[in-house]
Amino acid sequence: MADALVTAEGLGKTYGVTNPTRALDGVSFEIDDAEFVSIIGRSGSGKSTLLNLVGLLDTPTDGSLRLDGHDAASLDKDGRSHLRNGLLGFVFQFHYLLPEFSVMENLTMPARIAGKPADKSEGAFVEELVEMLGLEGLSKKGANDLSGGQKQRVAIGRALMNRPRIVLADEPTGNLDTENTEAVYELFRQFNQQWGTTFIIVTHDQAIAQRTDRIIEIRDGRLVQDVRNTYGKPVAMLGEGLPGR
Amino acid sequence: MLSLRIAVRFLRTSPVQSGLIIAGIAVGIAVQIFVGSLITSLQANLLNQTIGSASHVTIVAIKDGDPVTYSDLVKKTVRSSSLVRTVVPVRTVTAVFTKNTQNVPLSVTGGDLTNLDTIYKLTARTQRGRASLGNGEVMVGKDFADKYAVSPGDRISLNLPRQAPVNLRVSGVFDLGSSAANARSAFTGSGFAQRALGISSDKYSAIQVQMTDPFESKAVVADWQGHLKVQGIKVNDWQVENKDLLSALASQGSSSYMIQVFVLVAVALGIASTLAISAVQKTRQIGILKALGLSDSAAGSIFLWQATIMGVVGVVGGIALGLLLTTGFTLGTAKSGSGFPIVVQPSFIAISAGIGLTVALLSSVIPTRKTTRLDPIEVIQNG
Ligand SMILES: Nc1ncnc2c1ncn2[C@@H]1O[C@H](COP(=O)(O)OP(=O)(O)OP(=O)(O)O)[C@@H](O)[C@H]1O
Ligand SMILES: [Mg+2]
Repeated sequence: MADALVTAEGLGKTYGVTNPTRALDGVSFEIDDAEFVSIIGRSGSGKSTLLNLVGLLDTPTDGSLRLDGHDAASLDKDGRSHLRNGLLGFVFQFHYLLPEFSVMENLTMPARIAGKPADKSEGAFVEELVEMLGLEGLSKKGANDLSGGQKQRVAIGRALMNRPRIVLADEPTGNLDTENTEAVYELFRQFNQQWGTTFIIVTHDQAIAQRTDRIIEIRDGRLVQDVRNTYGKPVAMLGEGLPGR
Repeated sequence: MLSLRIAVRFLRTSPVQSGLIIAGIAVGIAVQIFVGSLITSLQANLLNQTIGSASHVTIVAIKDGDPVTYSDLVKKTVRSSSLVRTVVPVRTVTAVFTKNTQNVPLSVTGGDLTNLDTIYKLTARTQRGRASLGNGEVMVGKDFADKYAVSPGDRISLNLPRQAPVNLRVSGVFDLGSSAANARSAFTGSGFAQRALGISSDKYSAIQVQMTDPFESKAVVADWQGHLKVQGIKVNDWQVENKDLLSALASQGSSSYMIQVFVLVAVALGIASTLAISAVQKTRQIGILKALGLSDSAAGSIFLWQATIMGVVGVVGGIALGLLLTTGFTLGTAKSGSGFPIVVQPSFIAISAGIGLTVALLSSVIPTRKTTRLDPIEVIQNG
């Protein structure tokens, strides 16, 4: 049997030495290509910690992680950078755009980091992306001259720029109103279905979680629930991890 | 080169900060070029005034006042050295010029005009009349001529020791660049001085020698001293006779270096602190770029590029400013009449530029290390 795209085994993370915090403890799961997964749980339960480990931004204190056949523990810093750039895409709660650069430059930054001449050979793809994101006519604007929703759409485009197989999103709609939240969800779904990109979305938003195919719940650093969405009675299965609306 | 592009963008999006650093480098380099060249030119000028038209190495008799024989051995010794620029045997006699009730001592140097020119540049320095040291002719200095109303063509009477007064015709008036020399020295032909001193034709008061490099005199003097001691001859070194001047020049030189070093240190500290602040301000951006996969080395080189760009622009601006300052100074002092030209050595500019670039690069070490080591998680976790 072929490796899953993401395999976590007994993943654990302890912060601090003198005053240690066990943020994540013995988390195991497998995520395949083209999955559309949400991670839910109370504030402080360890969701971001888990996502940062999967995103190779942080290193686990115990357990193992395999990404697309790579053992995370055996990667050096450049190897991790390389995978973050090519295999992974990130969307954060804060858009994290670079204010010194234009919309187009921000969008194509991952390609530039990869050493691709973004504007030329990737032109058609970038054009398609811009259209899908509804950013036509904004390319030349400064990253700071956009609305919150527009900024987040640029960030999403940036996450997809190098056509990663996995997009990790940590509360991507945390700062957005309902309308923009809906737009982000629709974009994620569209890319997931069109390109088979795997999405792992940490969210507090019940409405979003309910519309993902698989829901992983973290409580006090442990994985307490990992269910397929039957789209029939999801809320009942989600337990108390979701704040009520 | 993504790092270079990011560096340029960072610089352009904080123009005030970049401008201040570039101005800092430029001012530092300009001060260095100006102060360095000023002191070097000042010293060269002073040195030229002191020994430009004077003997560097002088061969005289051991006994004061005795003539020295320009023997074959002396000729051979002096000519054997490639460091010698010119050899001028002279006869010097002290004469007294009398005007009304005043008695004015004049140091009369007798020699061959073409030969004397190689040290004293009499022909070039003749202000009035013409340079000529024929029989019965004398050249006097400007200050002497002005003070005693002597003009070319006039006859002056000189009293010589143990001899009857002699009448000489003034052929020209020179300016040696020093009023002391212009008031007290006079030149005549070789024969006049020989007769005045009553010595034979192979004897002179002194054999004056100029070197191609005056600072080479020490070794030459030691060498000749060894060869010529037996002849009752001694060899004098201008460096020994001008010890005080030379040590003053040396300490002036080292204080010039001190100024330059401190200016550069101040500039380096300025750049280093501004770059460090800039690195802190860009921490978020660097963290984001690293999260997107920018490698540590590429991130680190952003500030190296910034320092290089600002260093190059600052150095070029500094050279321009430095040349402007030196030219301005030269023109300004030329107007007041007391000046001398500041000559900026190309090699000094090159050294300055090299130092400026090195200083800029060195001051980027801390920000470069900081950005290289920055862990993107620090930025991502803290929002
Ligand atoms: N750098 C850190 N140093 C020490 N403790 C940390 C650090 N980062 C997170 N923690 C702790 O680890 C636990 C999990 O944090 P994490 O950020 O993963 O929670 P979360 O589920 O993402 O919460 P939220 O929903 O509020 O974003 C928390 O108790 C938190 O205080
Ligand atoms: Mg979180």
